[in-house]
Amino acid sequence: MAVDVELSPPAIARIRRLERIWEEPRGVLGWLTTTDHKRIGLLYFFTTLAFFGAGGIEAMLIRTQLAVPNAKVLDPNAYDELFTLHGVTMIFFFIIPMTVGAFGNYLVPLMLGARDMAFPRLNAFSYWLFLGSGVLLYGGFAASSQAPACGWFCYAPLNTAGYSPGHGVDFYALGLIFNGISSTVAAINFIVTIFKLRAPGMSLNRLPLFNYAMLAVSFSLLFALPPLTIDLVFLELQRKLGFHFFDVAHGGDPLLWQHLFWLFGHPEVYIIVLPAFGIATSIIPTFAKRRMLAFPLVALAELLVAFIGFGVWAHHMFATGLATTTLVFFAAASMMVVVPSTIQIFAWLFTVVTGRPEFRAPLLFIGGFIVFFVIGGITGIMFAAIPFDQQTTDTYFVVAHFHFIIFGAAVFPLFGGMYYWFPKVTGRMYHERWAQASFWVTFVGTALTFFPMHIVGLLGMPRRVYTYPSGVGWDSYNLSETVGAYILTGGLLMIFANLAWSRFRGPVAGADPFHGGTLEWTTTSPPPPYNFPVIPEVTSPYPNWDPPDRERDRRRLERGQLVLDAGHETTASTVRDGLLDEILEMPSESWWPLVTAACITAIFAFLLTSHFAIAGIFALTAALAVVGWHWREPEEPEPA
Amino acid sequence: MSTPSNTVLQSPTGPVATGRVAKPNGLWGMLLFVATEATLFGTIFGTYYYLRFTNAEWPPAGVPLPSVAVPLLLAFVLAATSAPMAVLSRAAQAGELARARAALVAAMVVQAGFFAMQVNLFEDDLAKFQPQGSSYGSIYFTMLGAHQAHVAVGLLLDVWLLGKLARGLTSYRVVAAQSIAFYWHFVNLLALLVVGAQLSVRV
Repeated sequence: MAVDVELSPPAIARIRRLERIWEEPRGVLGWLTTTDHKRIGLLYFFTTLAFFGAGGIEAMLIRTQLAVPNAKVLDPNAYDELFTLHGVTMIFFFIIPMTVGAFGNYLVPLMLGARDMAFPRLNAFSYWLFLGSGVLLYGGFAASSQAPACGWFCYAPLNTAGYSPGHGVDFYALGLIFNGISSTVAAINFIVTIFKLRAPGMSLNRLPLFNYAMLAVSFSLLFALPPLTIDLVFLELQRKLGFHFFDVAHGGDPLLWQHLFWLFGHPEVYIIVLPAFGIATSIIPTFAKRRMLAFPLVALAELLVAFIGFGVWAHHMFATGLATTTLVFFAAASMMVVVPSTIQIFAWLFTVVTGRPEFRAPLLFIGGFIVFFVIGGITGIMFAAIPFDQQTTDTYFVVAHFHFIIFGAAVFPLFGGMYYWFPKVTGRMYHERWAQASFWVTFVGTALTFFPMHIVGLLGMPRRVYTYPSGVGWDSYNLSETVGAYILTGGLLMIFANLAWSRFRGPVAGADPFHGGTLEWTTTSPPPPYNFPVIPEVTSPYPNWDPPDRERDRRRLERGQLVLDAGHETTASTVRDGLLDEILEMPSESWWPLVTAACITAIFAFLLTSHFAIAGIFALTAALAVVGWHWREPEEPEPA
Repeated sequence: MSTPSNTVLQSPTGPVATGRVAKPNGLWGMLLFVATEATLFGTIFGTYYYLRFTNAEWPPAGVPLPSVAVPLLLAFVLAATSAPMAVLSRAAQAGELARARAALVAAMVVQAGFFAMQVNLFEDDLAKFQPQGSSYGSIYFTMLGAHQAHVAVGLLLDVWLLGKLARGLTSYRVVAAQSIAFYWHFVNLLALLVVGAQLSVRV
């Protein structure tokens, strides 16, 4: 809705009522009890940014150690701990919570035309659980100076008590079980929100592609996390109570760990990269000034990638001695991933080519993403060839491949997205020239860091070694990787310096600086707590490019239709056709999510130290907190 | 142009609820929760058979075969509580408070009895062999324990719902009744699958 249009006094009165109804307490108190998806998104954003910093410092220490042969910056154990923490942090505490938690939370309800998520308190709960799991992992590490040193995949039998004594692996296992609860809760919330809370008229074929990506991610999380959780539970039962799952002497099998881990771990790769696809499909139409080409195919491809992701896990295990028939099946399934990926790549490229592209910073980052995704994809297909995989497994070639995918492809769109939605979130514009310069520095840094890894990998340099001898032809490549990593860090600092400076000094952006297509651009920047003064009615996947519809929204605001200024309300629609179905009374701010999450953090902390009885007491408190949470029903009036 | 959305949008007196067509959000949440829990148990069942087929002897020497009659009977008795839980769900939706409460209490008595018997059987089994003895014992007790934990959570949900229903019926509580009934259908089906998996060593 055009915000600068003059409104009549009754419409202004309605907006004032909405402001009063949706207002939350000010200050720290407001942030601790908030159920506003935008504030929760920001909490996720800054928390994950802190973890990104930690993961980045770990990476820089690793690269510094590897800059020259026989370096002594890190001892072998510290090196192992750092690459383990780097992987765990970047995957579980940066990319997933940044994409799902921060971008998803902030944007999904806005793009749907809803006033909040389907379960606002559950949303707050998943943030506090996430924070608790991060505190558990890093707090435990800081308190005991013990970190897991077994890699993010933490293979058996290395992860068992005999080979990894101390608490390091327990931090890892319990921290990830805990983190998984948070992600599961978030996934359920996203699926229900996307299926039920769409604006009237937003049938499934008008759902923005970003939301298709989030839907695919949420379903993947829902079905991929249980195998990991069970795997970690087995591990803790073996470590703490002496059960036998992974030791051959008592009928266990170390390969069981790998099967369950990769049954989660490969869908995980798509969980990481799908939100990037979603961001790309948001940025490209805006700057190419046309709708996405092959819209339904792209939507299906996003879902198909997630689906195929569940049938390829054993391609991580080609070198473990599985039967050849098994390997061939998984090799074929892995080749299939090419199809939906290629559909999307050509759809992106042709949307740009057939549009009138304007290469501003967000689109540049998407360009970088496509380049890296194609390179990482090509090396990915190479691994589907079993003999090639067996030759290069555990070399730097693998490290090169997956960093092109999970840094180049998954994280570049995040930076593009940060620039793209920065004016929406802050109301101010970033500095365009600095942003474009930051892209080139980051791009060059990334290529220089990760491309030489292909070559040293083919030359035989193994991964997960803390140093290497001189004179085997690896020195110059490793040095350039380290130089690249420092350039990359410089690029990242440029991005965040730009955003931080623009937050305070940037010019006012207005509601719709890029003329984007989706609903978030129809409201003010930053959006008010109630998101939209009137629930929009939608007739296409790019509602902001339908001026007559937005004019009708404005007239409905004047008439007071679907303004919902009688209570803390939003609309629910039918699942497929998006017909207006009912008006929902939404829960408002509450202490219970924080209290419940604190109890659960205590459970995990005491499980970690094997105080099972105290953990049980906190389980009881958590149950009581859940009862308190559900004491007052949404329809019941607030106590005076 | 007689879709609900248009009726409401064109109505001159503002939005009018047209009656709910889609399933309520709370029930959707429970369906998805059960989907992820089903995957969890699928992984446990998968592990059971994985370990069974990597071991030549299953169960290993010295570990008794699982008993048939009592666990099987108990599983069917628990599964039968799906009937009163279905009555609870229907009655709540129809606004029949007394019938809903009676169905819930009837189901709860049987579920609690099942839980007590199961804990007893669990202790009996522990006296014969331990989870620390072999991978068979580990997965056997893990599977049983995971199911019993779900029964215990279900009982807590029953108690909570009974407390809510004591103060009448609201639309919120109707959704709660539907969701908890669905949860129990899942736990009941699991009881049959668990006992089926464990008795499969005898065939």
